[in-house]
Amino acid sequence: MRYSGFKVIAEGLGGNKGWKPAWRDPDPKPEYDIIIIGGGGHGLSTAYYLAKNHGLTNIAVLEKGYLGGGNVGRNTTIVRANYFLPGNQEFYSHSLKLWEGLESELNYNVMHSQRGLINLFHSDGQRDAFARRGNAMINQGDDAELLDREGVRRLLPYLDFEQTRFPIYGGLLHRRGGSARHDAVAWGYARGADRRGVDLIQNCEVTGIDIQDGRVTGVQTTRGAIRAKKVGIIVAGRSGQVAAMAGMRLPVESHILQAFVTEGLKPVIDHVVSFGMGHFYISQSDKGGLVFGGDLDFYASYAARGNLPMVEHVMEAGMTLMPMIGKAKVLRSWGGIMDMTPDGSPIIDRTHIDGLFIDCGWNYGGFKAVPASGWCMAHLMATGESHEVARRFRLDRFVTGHLLDEEGTGSQHNLH
Amino acid sequence: MARLIEKTPCEALLPVTCGALTLRELVGDRVTSVAPLRGQKTKLAAALKKLGLAWPEPNRVIAKDRASITWTGRDQAFLIGADPDTLAGLAALTDQTDGWARIRLEGPGAADVLARLVPLDLRAFAPGQAARSQLGHMMMILISPAPGIFDIMVFRSMAATAVHELHHAMKALAARAAV
Amino acid sequence: MRITCPLCGTRDRREFYYYGDAVYADRPDAGAVPEAWNDYLHLRDNPAGETRDLWYHEMGCSSWIEVTRNTVTHAILGTRLVSERNSRRDKFVYQEGDLREIKPQATKPEPKGTEE
Ligand SMILES: Cc1cc2nc3c(=O)[nH]c(=O)nc-3n(C[C@H](O)[C@H](O)[C@H](O)COP(=O)(O)OP(=O)(O)OC[C@H]3O[C@@H](n4cnc5c(N)ncnc54)[C@H](O)[C@@H]3O)c2cc1C
Ligand SMILES: [Zn+2]
Repeated sequence: MRYSGFKVIAEGLGGNKGWKPAWRDPDPKPEYDIIIIGGGGHGLSTAYYLAKNHGLTNIAVLEKGYLGGGNVGRNTTIVRANYFLPGNQEFYSHSLKLWEGLESELNYNVMHSQRGLINLFHSDGQRDAFARRGNAMINQGDDAELLDREGVRRLLPYLDFEQTRFPIYGGLLHRRGGSARHDAVAWGYARGADRRGVDLIQNCEVTGIDIQDGRVTGVQTTRGAIRAKKVGIIVAGRSGQVAAMAGMRLPVESHILQAFVTEGLKPVIDHVVSFGMGHFYISQSDKGGLVFGGDLDFYASYAARGNLPMVEHVMEAGMTLMPMIGKAKVLRSWGGIMDMTPDGSPIIDRTHIDGLFIDCGWNYGGFKAVPASGWCMAHLMATGESHEVARRFRLDRFVTGHLLDEEGTGSQHNLH
Repeated sequence: MARLIEKTPCEALLPVTCGALTLRELVGDRVTSVAPLRGQKTKLAAALKKLGLAWPEPNRVIAKDRASITWTGRDQAFLIGADPDTLAGLAALTDQTDGWARIRLEGPGAADVLARLVPLDLRAFAPGQAARSQLGHMMMILISPAPGIFDIMVFRSMAATAVHELHHAMKALAARAAV
Repeated sequence: MRITCPLCGTRDRREFYYYGDAVYADRPDAGAVPEAWNDYLHLRDNPAGETRDLWYHEMGCSSWIEVTRNTVTHAILGTRLVSERNSRRDKFVYQEGDLREIKPQATKPEPKGTEE
C-alpha cells in the first residue's frame, strides 16, 4: 500500500525520505491526440474522464504554473446542488452525485464533507423565493428543507437573529451540501489521470494556438510547439487571453474574488452558512480555521489580490451575522481571478474553429462543478456532442438570447 | 384638517457632547440646489455677486454672513441661508430644505472623529473647503465654515444613523484618549 | 486603490461604483443586428494590462468617469469625464445589408444653446 498509517510513522522516523512523487513529471512530446490547456480542477478532471470514460490516453495537460495553483486551490470549497434554472439544475445535480462517489472513484481523500448548507432569508418575499427554489431542487431529485426561524436557531444558535437590518426569518437547508479540501481534488484527479497515461506538464505556458484552414493543429508553448488535432481551453480567469490567441472575443470579464481564513479554533461552526443579503458565507475547515468570503471586488482585474473596502465589507457582514467571531484573528487573505459571464452561467462548447473547444465562465461557483465539468467536457471533446446535462452551456446563447441568468441581475458581468 | 407637528431632522437626537466635542443640529436655513441653465452662467454669476457670493469651484464653499453656496456636483451647487428668488430664470432651482439633516461637529479632535468615518484626509481641510464624500455608508456633503468646525449634510432619512455613527466615533475617540 | 475624479480630485476607491468596460458608452443604434448587441453587451477584450472602464463617482459628485488603468497592477493611468470622451460608436457600424428592417429612429437635433 502506498499510503497507510504505518507508512506515515515509518517515514516520520526515517526522515520522510522514502516518499515518491504522486505523478510523473514528463517532458512534452511533439504530438498528442488531445491537449488540455490549464491544469486547474476542470482541466484535470477533463483529462481524467477522457481517459476513464472514453479510453483516450494520448493526452497532455499543459499548465503554466503548478497543478492546483489557480482557483482550484484558492476557493472557499462550497459544494452544493441548489440551482433553480433548468440547464443549471441537472448539471449541478449530476456534479453532486459525482462528488458523492469521488473518494472511492479516485481512491483519494478529498475530505468531502456533507455537513449541510443553510442559505438564510430575511423577508417574506425571500422566503417565497427560497420555497420555490427548494421545490425546484426536490423536483430535480436533490434535497431541500425550508427552516423557519426556530429551525435555524436550533442548528445555528450563535447567529444574531435580531439585527435590525436583516432579521433572520429562516433558511433553506440543503443537507447534501457541504465542503471539500480544494487542492486534494486537483491532486486526486491529477494522480488518476497520470496513472491512466495522461502527461501532466507543469511550467508550460501556452503562448499561441496554431490554426490552419479553420482547424486547430497544435499550440505554441514556453517549452516548444506541440501538435494536436483537438485542443481544450480550460483556463478559468485567463480564458479571455487564451481565447484571444485563437482570435476569439469571449463573453467573459475577469474579476477578483477574495477569501479569508482565521487561526484554528475549536469546532464551532458545524455547517456551511450563507448570508446572501450581506454577501457573506462561512464554514470551518477540518484544521479549525474559519474560511469565509464575500462578493467580488467588482472591477475587472487580473491581480490575485483585492482591495481594502471589500475586506471591510466582508468583516462587517460577518460581524452583523455572527458577532461571536469578532475576536478570531484573520491569518490570511488572498484572491483568485474569476471568469465572469454576463449571465453568471458557464460555457462548455465547441468554437468556430474545428477541434478547438472551450470550458469557461465558472464565475465564483466552479469548484463544485469540477467533476461534472470534466465529465461533460470530456464527453464533448471525445464524441463531438454536448453531454445532455450541459447542453444549455452554449457559447452562442448570448446571441440567441437563451441566457441562464440564475440571479436575474441582467447582462453585467460583475453582478452575478 | 389634521394638524401636523413640525419636527427637525435630528429632533430628540441632538445635541450631544463628549468631552470637549459637541455635535448639534443646524436648523432654519433655506437650502436650494442651483443648476445653471444653458448659456446663463455669466448672468448667474452676476446675480450671485449681488448676494455677495460667486459660483463655487469644485470642493469649495463661498460664504457671506449667513449665506453660503457650496459646490455639490457637476454644474450644481447648494445655496444655503439665502433667498434664491433673484436667481430665477438663470438656474434650475429646487428647494431642498426639508430633504437634508445638517449637523455641526465642533471641538478639538473633530477631524479625528471624522477620520473614522470619512475616506478623506481632513487634517488639511481648511475654511472655504467642501467635499462630496461619504460618512460611513451614507452620501454626505462636508463643509468647513471655520477652523476646527465641520458641517455635515446627509439625507434627512438617514439622520438617526448619521448621529449614531458620529456619536459612536466621538465616544470611541474619548475612550481611547482616556486609556 | 485611489481614483482621480476629474472634478473632486483623488479619492478612495470606495466612493466609486464600477460599471464595466468603457464600451458601455458606445451603445449601438436601435436597428443594429443582434451580433452588434451581443458585442456591446457581452463580448469583452478583457485585457490583462491597460484597460478603460466606466466608474461612477457615486458617493461623490455623481459624475461618470472613464478610467484608464492597469488590470494587473491596479495602477490608475488617467481619468476623464465620460462627457469628454470620444465616442467609438463607429465600432458597431455594420455593413449595409447587415442591418435589419428596423430603421434607426430619427433623433431630434440638440437645441443649440449659447454656452460661454
Ligand atoms: C476566493 C474564491 C472562492 C471561491 N469559492 C467557491 C466556492 O465556495 N464554491 C465553488 O463552487 N467555487 C468557488 N470558487 C470558484 C472556483 O474556484 C473556480 O470557478 C474554479 O476553480 C475554476 O476552474 P479551475 O479549477 O479549472 O481554475 P484554475 O484552478 O484557475 O485553473 C486554470 C489553470 O489554467 C492555467 N493557465 C492559465 N493560462 C494558461 C496558459 N496560457 N497556459 C497554460 N496554463 C494556463 C492557470 O495557471 C490555472 O492553473 C471560488 C473562487 C475563488 C477565487
Ligand atoms: Zn467627483
